[in-house]
Amino acid sequence: MVRHLYVHLPFCASRCGYCAFVVEVGSLGLRDVYLDALCEEFRREQSDLGLLETVYLGGGTPTLMRPHRIARLLDQIAPRVADSAEISIEANPETVDRAALRQLRAAGVTRISIGAQSFQQDLLRSLERNAQPDQVRDVVACAQDAGFDSVSVDLLFGVPGQTHEQLVADMREVQALGVDHISWYELEIKPETALSRMGAQVPDEDWAADAYEAIVGELEGHGYRWYETANFARPGHECRHSLAYWSARDYLGIGVGAVSTIDHVRSRNPIDLHRYIAALGSDDAIPRTRETLDDDMVRRERWMLGLRLDGPLDAGWAGPPDYPDALGKLAAAGLLEHADGQVWLTRRGRFVQNAVLHELMEYA
Amino acid sequence: MTVVPQELIRNFCIIAHIDHGKSTLADRILQLTGAVQDRDMREQILDSMDLERERGITIKAQAVRVFYTALDGVTYQFNLIDTPGHVDFSYEVSRSLAACEGALLVVDASQGIEAQTLANTYLAIEGDLELIPVLNKIDLPAAEPDLHGGAVAELIGVDPDSVLRISAKTGEGIGEVLEAIVARIPPPHGDPDAPSRALIFDSVYDQYRGVVAFVRVVDGEFKKGDRLLAMQTGREVIAEEVGVMGPAMTPTGLLRAGESGYLVTGLKSVGDLKVGDTFTLARRPAEIALDGYREVKPMVFCGLFPLDADDYADLRDALEKLSLNDASLQWEPETSQALGFGFRCGFLGLLHMDIIRERLEREYDLELLATTPNVEYHVTTTAGDELLVRSPVDLPPPTNIESIREPYVRCTVLVPSDGVGAVMQLCQERRGNYVTMTPIEQRQQIVYDLPLAEIVTDFFDQLKSRTRGYASLDYELAGYRESPLVKLDILLAGDPVDALSMIVHKDLAYGRGKALVEALRGTIPRQLFEVPIQAAVGGRIVARETIKARRKDVLAKCYGGDISRKRKLLERQKEGKKRMKQVGSVEVPQEAFLSVLTLGSSSENSGTKK
Repeated sequence: MVRHLYVHLPFCASRCGYCAFVVEVGSLGLRDVYLDALCEEFRREQSDLGLLETVYLGGGTPTLMRPHRIARLLDQIAPRVADSAEISIEANPETVDRAALRQLRAAGVTRISIGAQSFQQDLLRSLERNAQPDQVRDVVACAQDAGFDSVSVDLLFGVPGQTHEQLVADMREVQALGVDHISWYELEIKPETALSRMGAQVPDEDWAADAYEAIVGELEGHGYRWYETANFARPGHECRHSLAYWSARDYLGIGVGAVSTIDHVRSRNPIDLHRYIAALGSDDAIPRTRETLDDDMVRRERWMLGLRLDGPLDAGWAGPPDYPDALGKLAAAGLLEHADGQVWLTRRGRFVQNAVLHELMEYA
Repeated sequence: MTVVPQELIRNFCIIAHIDHGKSTLADRILQLTGAVQDRDMREQILDSMDLERERGITIKAQAVRVFYTALDGVTYQFNLIDTPGHVDFSYEVSRSLAACEGALLVVDASQGIEAQTLANTYLAIEGDLELIPVLNKIDLPAAEPDLHGGAVAELIGVDPDSVLRISAKTGEGIGEVLEAIVARIPPPHGDPDAPSRALIFDSVYDQYRGVVAFVRVVDGEFKKGDRLLAMQTGREVIAEEVGVMGPAMTPTGLLRAGESGYLVTGLKSVGDLKVGDTFTLARRPAEIALDGYREVKPMVFCGLFPLDADDYADLRDALEKLSLNDASLQWEPETSQALGFGFRCGFLGLLHMDIIRERLEREYDLELLATTPNVEYHVTTTAGDELLVRSPVDLPPPTNIESIREPYVRCTVLVPSDGVGAVMQLCQERRGNYVTMTPIEQRQQIVYDLPLAEIVTDFFDQLKSRTRGYASLDYELAGYRESPLVKLDILLAGDPVDALSMIVHKDLAYGRGKALVEALRGTIPRQLFEVPIQAAVGGRIVARETIKARRKDVLAKCYGGDISRKRKLLERQKEGKKRMKQVGSVEVPQEAFLSVLTLGSSSENSGTKK
């Protein structure tokens, strides 16, 4: 039974310089039609659905849907949502104000993740973010007042041109805000993004490692748990929806370009907005691309996802008889520990997680 | 097939530098004599191997028979024997020359004589061949026919007016070339009634027919079904087929004195047949064999290892197959601690090595790792033993070595006067001994004696780049000389890596060691732990660098929408790592084993390069 729902809300006012997601710039006139399509898709996907423990409204810029549409959407799915469910939304600072945040809370949203990215004006500019640092601070404060169970802030490091001083300034800012949860990603320069076209370069490994170590050390020192590669939470504020991904649980994704993984089949909705809307306006099945995950893939994904977490991964299923050799080798190198069928990375192992996965993938 | 008396036969070859138009001229001759229809005309018909065609070089000698009706109304039989143009294959040139009475000496009218042409011209003069000087590419705006024609005439001691001026590209002057072949090249004058003798000047392996010998019949005749005796090896074979190349293989049943053609032997490997040997008839053998060639010996050695250990057997099969057609390729099993099981292979030169490697990778789909090329050393031990050392690994410990001798070559470089300084500097850097310098045309011919080991790395590339491409090079072996040589070991994470060892001159050990560890630091990616790289001579560390440990290697983000992509990314990265060689605990990319190759430039120019 699927207990986790992702809803993709693709509309954006503009595309940020680093963004490679499925987003729709402009087209705001299509929001109502799109909402109808979402509700229709949700109606069609009832068969595998259990009572939902988490719902995640991601984007795009979900807050561009305005609170009343979010309320309508949540109303539609409410019968399938558990009382204790976590309902998250992503928010861009420039698209919400005090009133809007209250309305979202009233509509049932329990958790808000604010895309701050940085508090440094020139970094925001080079990321092509529309918000000003003051606006970011303001919105975080309003969100905290609005009564969400958890307020999270998204930040980036490794932005081209970022100095260590700027990183330290961002760390101070975010601590001063006292949010419940922080996602702090290293910027990836993906192909087909504006940053990539400008020939921007990520910082070298030593700079990035210094930054990453500083972030982890600083946030842990202030009572945050480094519970996932890029995520930090005060106790009890871990994102339950994301934890479902990292625990390799099934999830349903609805909306344009949304991905679902149910019973070892991963499917992806069309990434073209009009095509998506058209399919749901007719009796046609949605033209999805499907990938069936074989045992090896499933095993690799469990390693890949599970070892992102600080907790132990239950490796009882890991299968191949020789995988203990790999574990032994990695344990000897001080990168992981294992006992009683449980595997977890050491602190150093977490910083070089990919290298650990490469080793393990020899066996999975 | 019409019987042609010897007086109407002309056996000749073409001597030319790479790119001076040998193959184009050959094609043009085939076209004009009707051997090849226009519609079948593809460029460079004689270069049949793909690699030859691609690189614009000729590796194998071949003989093509065509008929030409001259202005005197008589039809002559031409046997055009193709010659390779690269220094690595100069031994093949001497084979071709021995099958001819004359040669076209083709020189680019805009570039003049090159070192390679010079060397082959001397070979032809020694072989008593009639030379027809030809200036090609006179259609080029940069052509200087008077200047270069005069120089060619002077070189071979003929009247400048006898130098033909042609353009193989446009066809201009080809008629005169054909007439000159008739008029100036003497016909063969073998004895048709004497016991049969034929010189084997080349051979190829054909998977259906076995070894095909290319021969020049000197005396007597050979028929299909004859029992042949190879005079040096004593081996007897049946001539299963007898014919000529026209240019396709055309059975004629008979080859007579003065003619060139092929004999199908049914032998299973070209190694079974010695090029330079003489065929005679078993039932009426000749008493004296024809003059052969000097034995071809590999001069450059390197280890070839499959990247994937499972490919070892395939590599052996591929080498066996290539050897069927290339008697100069030598190989024997070799085991490296670092690289596992592979083969130590011997080549005629760097180009030969490149070609073999490329063919193995391309035609046999193998992924290979090649170690630094080296030469064959003669080592005298303190116990008085003489050793041949073809791999640095086999060098005895220093205390057991009385002396080491290394092969030297005499290098001839032709270069415009403003390049003399650069060439001499390069030769000095490479432990060269100056011999002479002589002006030729408007250029200088510089002769140096150099250790072969110094030119088997990137000498030729350096020569070209330092003279902006204007220098040309030829070399020949010039014996062995004693040198103060030492083994330079490379240690990764404290363990010596046999495949990275090299033998160097004592005085260069420090510089090479330093450059090598620097190059390796730049090539080997960061690992999970810190990796010291050291260069050592006889246990003493002469240089050290450190590869820092990896500190951060994570996928920044991974959520429901991108799990597949991230998994595939990891799978790709893992595949990429497969291309690396696990040396002890260190993952080493292939390029690292080649960084030694480019050392010459980086060590001597470390100031100018990044």
